[in-house]
Amino acid sequence: MSTQNGSNSALLRVQNLKKHFPVGSGFLSRNKAMLKAVDGINFEIETGKTYGLVGESGCGKSTTAKLILHLEEPTEGTFFFEGQDATEFNREGMRNYKASVQAVFQDPWASLNPRMRVGGIIGEPLEVNSTMTKGAIKSRVGDLLEEVGLQQYQANLFPHEFSGGQRQRIGVARALALNPKLIILDEPVSALDVSIRAQIMNLLEDLQDEHNLTYLLIAHHLATVRYMCDKVGVMYLGRIVEEAETEELYDNPLHPYTRALMSAALPSHPDIDREEIILTGEVPSPVNPPEGCHFHPRCPSRFEPCEDNAPVESHPVPDHRVVCHLY
Amino acid sequence: MTTSDERIGEVVLEVKDLRTYFVTRWGVVKAVDGVNFNIRRGETLGIVGESGSGKSVTTLSIMRLVPSPPGHIVGGQVLLEGEDILTLDEGEMEQVRGSRIGMVLQDPMTALNPVFDIEDQVGEALKIHKGLGGQALKDTVIDMLRKVRIPAPDVRIKDYPHQLSGGMRQRVVGAIGISCDPVVLIADEPTTSLDATIQAQYLRLLRELQESTGVGIIFITHDFGIVAKMCDRVAVMYAGKIVEQGDVRQIFNNPSHPYTEALIQSVPKMEETEERLYSIPGQPPALWDLPQGCSFAPRCRYSFDKCLEEFPPDFAVDQGQHAACWLRESEGAALGVAASD
Repeated sequence: MSTQNGSNSALLRVQNLKKHFPVGSGFLSRNKAMLKAVDGINFEIETGKTYGLVGESGCGKSTTAKLILHLEEPTEGTFFFEGQDATEFNREGMRNYKASVQAVFQDPWASLNPRMRVGGIIGEPLEVNSTMTKGAIKSRVGDLLEEVGLQQYQANLFPHEFSGGQRQRIGVARALALNPKLIILDEPVSALDVSIRAQIMNLLEDLQDEHNLTYLLIAHHLATVRYMCDKVGVMYLGRIVEEAETEELYDNPLHPYTRALMSAALPSHPDIDREEIILTGEVPSPVNPPEGCHFHPRCPSRFEPCEDNAPVESHPVPDHRVVCHLY
Repeated sequence: MTTSDERIGEVVLEVKDLRTYFVTRWGVVKAVDGVNFNIRRGETLGIVGESGSGKSVTTLSIMRLVPSPPGHIVGGQVLLEGEDILTLDEGEMEQVRGSRIGMVLQDPMTALNPVFDIEDQVGEALKIHKGLGGQALKDTVIDMLRKVRIPAPDVRIKDYPHQLSGGMRQRVVGAIGISCDPVVLIADEPTTSLDATIQAQYLRLLRELQESTGVGIIFITHDFGIVAKMCDRVAVMYAGKIVEQGDVRQIFNNPSHPYTEALIQSVPKMEETEERLYSIPGQPPALWDLPQGCSFAPRCRYSFDKCLEEFPPDFAVDQGQHAACWLRESEGAALGVAASD
């Protein structure tokens, strides 16, 4: 296991992470096309903070989550958890890692086993990963249910007996069971009713304060990300094109793609009339991304170098990185 | 957008005291329970509500597409250019659907038939309602696809739905919706499955279509952002009833029903960083087990004794704005059902 330098407070440090999937026809063909779902991303999350990854569908944000959960193995690159290389864990190290990193998923209808009682769903990670007795697990499940705003007796019910918001609370309780350090939130509120979203977001904030939890939030809704996150990375076709502290990013977006995303976001009041930067076309396929800057065919500010040369990262403002030829 | 400009014309659709009930084994579910609104030429009305609020059943009732049994339209009128379409027989109703009232549904993947090409699907309504055929039909279809900005429409008409991206599919569904030049277009959450930049393209397209055809749009949504961007007027639904209705600025600047106010406060804003969102406690009630009195009272931070006993009538708050809340009793006279337009 290698220990790495870098800032000491980073709980998770992702370094040049790549995930390429082979696609295409013919099992005998040698030159398989590669779908570059994640194509060399770097970011750090500090303990107790929330990092947001935003982007449209197909940008690679969910694949990133899967890589960090070890549900997919990276093609290249690595990530460090508490300074240790997470791709080189031994059995014991992996066991600890998987207990320390948990996830809450988008769809509370699909992510809970309909044939298990809620107590079993929340208690399962404890059964598998700890030496607790049945009685101890039962009382821990009761505590967890109360912590997420449900009641102890509800451990005996089945998922279908709950509403969407309550099911998401069950998902959160399950994620908390093993006292994790990092929780990956993959679109945790987008499947919920509007009046319920704020409840779940506030619950997640409270739990973070109480347990010093670190969150990686995967989302497409810019306002949700602004409310929840300390730092945000914007992804486009497998790459992080811009990253900054939340306030800085929203007040001073630099990359033309970030600007277009923000201009397309819905206003919170009818009098807000943002100038819309309408992007032409749709996100190109990650199998055959455009040469040069991936964004150039849709970019309103493209100029000569964009077509041929991939831009490199720059820091026009301290702690604000952007990958664009304009800077 | 403003409501006072001259693009808004006469009332084209008027819904009066509409009631649609479902008979279930838990009892009678009043999915739509006395709903009133109207829509003018060139105007966009947003119907906002959560799942189960009755917003989709309202539009299905207008189209007379409520599955029956268990659903029944038990009362009210739907006046399309003055004619009550609830009294039409099924054959006459078929002349209305897809022709005078167009519809754009939420999920473009299920709204399109996977085994027919785009030409067949966009052409179907034109064939039935306008009697077009042959080259004339094909030309009209191409023209429709051009209107919704499908690139190379003369080639694309031979494509099947799976060959199109999500945004393009939704535009095809839009083309079907407007193909017969409807007076009213019902758009039921048409952009929820789309990405933000594609959503922006689509909303702009709908607005341009409205400007060129004067179609009145009913926009069903749960998203106040869409309301802020697209709508002239807003009706907020909760548990089968419209609890507040008004001009879009009245609703945002002076929400008069606690539910409207709470909903707006519970949505994070992209324009500023908030410390803590207001969150509405509890969850929407089951429609077969509504509380006595105001349905929102158990979740309402202002509720008092009267709210738990008696359902409030509509009270006028401002010109064109009314709310069904006892808090507004002192401000305005109770509106009768007929007076709410």
